[in-house]
Amino acid sequence: MKLAILSESPADEAALRVLIEGVLGEPIQLVQSALRARGWPSVAQVMPAVIRHLHFNTDADGLAVVVDADDSVIHTETHEAPGYFHPRCRLCQLRAVFRQTVKRLPPARGRQRIFRGVGVAVPAIEGWYLCGRDESVTEAIWLNGLAVGKVPFTRHELKWRVYGTDRPSLPHEINCALVDARRHAVDTRRLENDFPGFRALANDLRTWRTLLNKI
Amino acid sequence: MVGPNGSGKTSLIQALLLLRGLTKLPIKDAHGTTPPIASPEIDFRFSPPLDEIEVQMACSTDFVCDLLKVRSPSPELWSQAMSEILKIRSYLFDHYAMGEPARREVGAELTGNAGNLAAVIARWQDRIPAVLKRLETEFCRLLTEFSGLEIVSLHDGRVALAGRLADNNERVFAENMSQGTLYTIATLVLAFDPAPPSIICIEEIDRGIHPRLLREIRDAFYRLSHPASFDEKRAPVQIVATTHSPYLLDLFKDHPEEVVIAQKEGLEARFERLIDRPDYQQLLSEGPLGDIWFSGILGGVPQEKSPEELK
Repeated sequence: MKLAILSESPADEAALRVLIEGVLGEPIQLVQSALRARGWPSVAQVMPAVIRHLHFNTDADGLAVVVDADDSVIHTETHEAPGYFHPRCRLCQLRAVFRQTVKRLPPARGRQRIFRGVGVAVPAIEGWYLCGRDESVTEAIWLNGLAVGKVPFTRHELKWRVYGTDRPSLPHEINCALVDARRHAVDTRRLENDFPGFRALANDLRTWRTLLNKI
Repeated sequence: MVGPNGSGKTSLIQALLLLRGLTKLPIKDAHGTTPPIASPEIDFRFSPPLDEIEVQMACSTDFVCDLLKVRSPSPELWSQAMSEILKIRSYLFDHYAMGEPARREVGAELTGNAGNLAAVIARWQDRIPAVLKRLETEFCRLLTEFSGLEIVSLHDGRVALAGRLADNNERVFAENMSQGTLYTIATLVLAFDPAPPSIICIEEIDRGIHPRLLREIRDAFYRLSHPASFDEKRAPVQIVATTHSPYLLDLFKDHPEEVVIAQKEGLEARFERLIDRPDYQQLLSEGPLGDIWFSGILGGVPQEKSPEELK
């Protein structure tokens, strides 16, 4: 599969590539490396241009995008109802941007549209890295904390737990991210279970592969 | 520090340099001097173990601020503070000067415009080659078109800095390197210096640097200010840096305590730490910090006259 990854940093891109290959169970071909956005809401703002570029100028099958949830509304099963859209949920917002952009594009390069792979890391991608080795970090625990008005951990704390500092150098950040991404890539079920924001991405990717296999 | 032109960012750096300059002179009255005129005063505070020292700078005339009032529990403690104050350094890199060859003997430490960059690296090559190797490795990681740095001895006794291109192994002399490349090398010299200054003041740290490399520039200075995070075993260096780049500011959203906004109000300059704003958390949740700053709601932007005022 040929895909592009839109991310906030080289560390995120390196880890996502490994995680995506873990979900698909096969190597991927990165169509255009180093597509970057400056965090939220820049990701959503730049995404239409990225999608159009990939659609017309490359042979990418799809685009994978992951953002941190930070303090936004977390995507839940309720949001999956047909026609539902939560204006403060980043997953709903990114999906909407994707939908509205691709529906306006004519077929190009022998395909109708490029596929969507969208995930949201709650509250930050370091949560995914800690999954399975720190029982106190899951999306549900974060949600429960928000519900009672007391966050169970901060993004600062997650950085400390993953990198041993909240000011990691980029090489150190990449190394740490890759160690945990490779651990998950062997079997992504735990990550999908504990972090529905990752499951959303995994489901997109599997749907995408199924559709590609039918073509 | 961010803020409009003329908001006092450079003046703050000059105040630190003035403190250094006055500290070199004998203190006439260590327990108090009354300024002859009513003038602004600057209070300096220090972190432990020097936190019991108080230093106040005042002006003897309208334009001459040369009065230093020092209160210290002991002469020994003040002596210790003096040695740290004398290690304050300020930099405003000049790529034309940096491109020039330099006399080998002037390489003890980087000068304010980094015009002796070649001499410093030549000295490191002779005396601390392992440190230079680390710097070179980092340089090649950041600027992947290069495979190494070289010092070339010239016939007139001077040394020139050159980079070796990874693709064709050709040599590029510093005079032909880009502005950003030279600034990156100078930044790495500061970051890897085994005996760095106590305080580094540096203007426009984003100048000439591609926005995607700003993270690396920030991290180079974090290596100095937070050495433990980089497995360095030496005292932290305080960094006072100015920028006009929203992209660089974005990189400090997780550390609002490190962001100071300078605001010009008439003839006055005001400095405010971002973390001291009661609403900073909400502001940071609503977009990239650089964009929030550019919008003007944090202050630290140029004043604009209304059409009526322009008439």
